[in-house]
Amino acid sequence: MKHSIVIALGLAALVALPATAQNRPEGLAALGPPPIPADNAMTPEKIALGEMLFFDPILSGNNAMACASCHLPDAGWTVQDKISFGYPGTTHWRNSQTIVNSAYYGKLFWDGSSGSLEKQARSAARGGVSGNGEDDMMEARLAFVPEYRTAFRNVFGGDWPKVRQAYMAIAAYERSIVQTDTPFDNYMNGDDAALNDAQKRGLDLFAGKANCTACHTGPLLSDERYHNLGVPAFDGWEDDPIAQITFRFELLAKGSTEQMYRTTKDDPGLYFVTKQKSDKGKFRTPSLRYTKYTYPYMHNGMLETLRDVVEFYNVGGGENEFAANKSPLIEPLGLSDGEIDDLVAFLESLSGDEILPEAPDLPEMQPLPVASNN
Amino acid sequence: MLKNLTLICSLLAGTAAVAQDVVPIPPMEVDAARAELGKRLFYDTRLSGDASLSCSSCHQPDKAFTDGEALSQAYTGAGHFRNAPTLANVGYRDAWLHDGRLGTNLNDVSREMITETYLMNMDMRIMQERLKQDPVYVEMFAAAGMSEPGNGGARNALMDFMKTIVSRGAPVDAGELSSAAQRGKGIFEGKANCASCHSGPRYTDDKPHNTGVPGNPDIWASVERHSAFVTYAKFMGVENYMNLREDLGAYIRTRRADTKRSFLTPTLRELVWTAPYMHNGTFDTLAEVVDFYDAGGGDDPLKDTHLQPLGLVPSEKSDLIAYLEAMSGESFDTDAYVWRADDYDYALIEDWKNARN
Repeated sequence: MKHSIVIALGLAALVALPATAQNRPEGLAALGPPPIPADNAMTPEKIALGEMLFFDPILSGNNAMACASCHLPDAGWTVQDKISFGYPGTTHWRNSQTIVNSAYYGKLFWDGSSGSLEKQARSAARGGVSGNGEDDMMEARLAFVPEYRTAFRNVFGGDWPKVRQAYMAIAAYERSIVQTDTPFDNYMNGDDAALNDAQKRGLDLFAGKANCTACHTGPLLSDERYHNLGVPAFDGWEDDPIAQITFRFELLAKGSTEQMYRTTKDDPGLYFVTKQKSDKGKFRTPSLRYTKYTYPYMHNGMLETLRDVVEFYNVGGGENEFAANKSPLIEPLGLSDGEIDDLVAFLESLSGDEILPEAPDLPEMQPLPVASNN
Repeated sequence: MLKNLTLICSLLAGTAAVAQDVVPIPPMEVDAARAELGKRLFYDTRLSGDASLSCSSCHQPDKAFTDGEALSQAYTGAGHFRNAPTLANVGYRDAWLHDGRLGTNLNDVSREMITETYLMNMDMRIMQERLKQDPVYVEMFAAAGMSEPGNGGARNALMDFMKTIVSRGAPVDAGELSSAAQRGKGIFEGKANCASCHSGPRYTDDKPHNTGVPGNPDIWASVERHSAFVTYAKFMGVENYMNLREDLGAYIRTRRADTKRSFLTPTLRELVWTAPYMHNGTFDTLAEVVDFYDAGGGDDPLKDTHLQPLGLVPSEKSDLIAYLEAMSGESFDTDAYVWRADDYDYALIEDWKNARN
């Protein structure tokens, strides 16, 4: 009797409550269509215009840096390096985030400093270590492209393109770059065969023992809140003079006290938005969708593979300069190697096929027709 | 000595437009360490956003700090719509840029050049951090009395360096005019009446005039130049900027219709180094410039009434040119004005975690 109970328990542990159609974890769901802001409706013409502008370097200071320069479709719509490319003569200081499913975020950038994709596009086009463009100049250049004059007139009205409208069109295009048919979505929609056994075990760990859902929750698998996990500082600051320049520039540009500017050696993250000491080192929980293609990981790319990420959490995260703010949710997990394998397998189910559009043909600036001086 | 010269200069300025017994332009007072720092900054491409242009890209020492182009170079992806002016004696000016839109000091001029999107397109916060990453600057700023490299100090240093760019050794200063130049001087001050605007030791009244210089069609034919012009005109608040096909000159700051297409009288110092001529580089040679004025200037309803056909005969024109050439002095392509060392490097800050930023 006693024997058989033990055996029964052992069997139960082996099959470990697999998620079933009747028993999908709470708090997770398939992804529906993205929210569309009422003041920037989606039309095919606007999306087509936004697509051209996304790939066109015209929206930068040197007419050479497109959105797509740091959000490369064949690199997961990111840069597959720790830190994003910077404007020529500079380097960036954070990891480039994917465009895929960016439509669902309430706020953009790792520190949530942009309230919309429209604003994010403007910030990226203008930032000193990204596009380094100036609005008047970019707007002037748009006016010299006959195809843009026509497209902006058709989409927005008015005689001449406005750079604000360019950011709206880009945001509309980005809202069309979504993925809602991953194995995970299909599984959550009732297709029991969409996940294999390892992935199902991984899902159980994700929502159970590993407690990933404490933050990676909802259809987006992000609580859109900010946490310090103890990710170590970007190591390029130790050995790259240009990275050191950018680091100090960011401290200066984003608003630091003198004392903070002199002594900070890691990215204070959310602090720059809230100016609360308790927010130093916190970054917005990223979605885990499309992560198969968006390596390396974390706000500074310090973790190379999804397995590295899981192992990082398994040991209870890390420690950085802002240890006082480390999330209490991060604790050692005690996952076995097999469990880590399963969790990684599940994470891969959050990515579907790569989204690889053909880059559009780009129109060019042409001399303006003769006009009167009056 | 310096005081006396200044006094003489101002006396001369007061009696402009008559016979000019020009004296050499005196050196300006500068802080030597700051000027030396400014010299290094002047030749440093890291003062532009993509580290491709320095001040000296368009203000080259062997061309009296011009660039030899009709219309100047500009930032990557852009083109300029005006001619790069000489920096000879630039510290003596009251206002800067062909339209005179900056009337404060050379610190502000430096800021404008460095930050303007179609010029050097530099976020000066990045510039400051670049300077701090270069140990030579760290030393030079300290030597110039500043605790560390910074934006304001860099602009002051550039200002002091530019103030050192003063004409030397021109025949007009030495009183060594050839007989042709001597005759040309008479024409300059008399029959041709050039001195009515080109007065004083720098041969300029520092005022805007409309001389009817023809527009430069290359501006509108080049999308890089024209779009930079649109950017400028829009920023300056000019109405109907998309349909403009003319450079409005001083009008952009005066907003008086009668100042349209007027430009500050340029200095005539160092002309032999600074071709082509006029605010838009439309004339290649001094002969063309003299012919232009001989014909009474160009065609513009707002043209300055001082400009009348001069009726100069060929020998008078060549004499006039001889005098104009005598206003040019020694080359600035010397160690005093050029940072020769190729020592523009960043250094890694060691022990990063413990070093103070």
